[in-house]
Amino acid sequence: MAKMDRNNREGIKGWLNPGRYGWERVSYWLQRLTGVGLLAYFVGHIYETSSLTQGPDAWAAMLELTQTSMGHLILLLVIGMSMYHSVNGIRLIFTHGGKGLGRPGRPDYPYDAVSLNYRQKSGIWIALILAAASMLYGASVLLGGE
Amino acid sequence: MTMLRESQIMKIHYITGIAALFVVAIHIMMRLIMPYNMSLEYENVIANYHNLPYVVLLESILVLIAIHGFNGLRVILLELRQSKAWEDGVTILTIAAMMAVVAYGTRTIIFANGLGFE
Repeated sequence: MAKMDRNNREGIKGWLNPGRYGWERVSYWLQRLTGVGLLAYFVGHIYETSSLTQGPDAWAAMLELTQTSMGHLILLLVIGMSMYHSVNGIRLIFTHGGKGLGRPGRPDYPYDAVSLNYRQKSGIWIALILAAASMLYGASVLLGGE
Repeated sequence: MTMLRESQIMKIHYITGIAALFVVAIHIMMRLIMPYNMSLEYENVIANYHNLPYVVLLESILVLIAIHGFNGLRVILLELRQSKAWEDGVTILTIAAMMAVVAYGTRTIIFANGLGFE
């Protein structure tokens, strides 16, 4: 039985199915997706800045590679991912501390979980709205021509 | 591989995440005190690396995000699959990657500061 349970694990497919848990599941995989994306950017950024040690020409060559339209688009995505990951992460810290989960009650039909309440949903929406706003501000700086 | 309890590791994860928010905010503001393109000119970037408080800030960003990021990756990988060998392997691999990234980033900071190539 234990072996069968292991075989039934859904893995990444289980993450990507938002059907069963609504916005909370979307927030769950966005938090992981943005986390992995930001880690990849972090490693790339460390590699990018290491060209400084080879002098001005190497730095200029690296900038030619990264300061392009595609480079700016990636940077905008990174700005949005950072904002979403940060705001949703703060929501999760409060949630793990038991804040905003509502009071436990008797499970009555239709068995809506009190923990999946408007406070949690508004936290997710605030994270999404701030991510969009930060991307707009980032676009004004990156593409503003300064 | 049970040097720390998962609850302690999650506290470290949250603390490094919150701390990283502050230091990264300062790092981004340093790009905005002058026109963005000018802030990326070689002389200006090197000047940042010669500023000791900023060097401390860069090193703290490096350490905080490496700990937070690679622990996050460890948590994701442990959610996908569970067995003793997998958990030990993931833990060792993420700690090794974290140390390699911190070492490589620190090397850049030291060299760009002038200790390595001037």
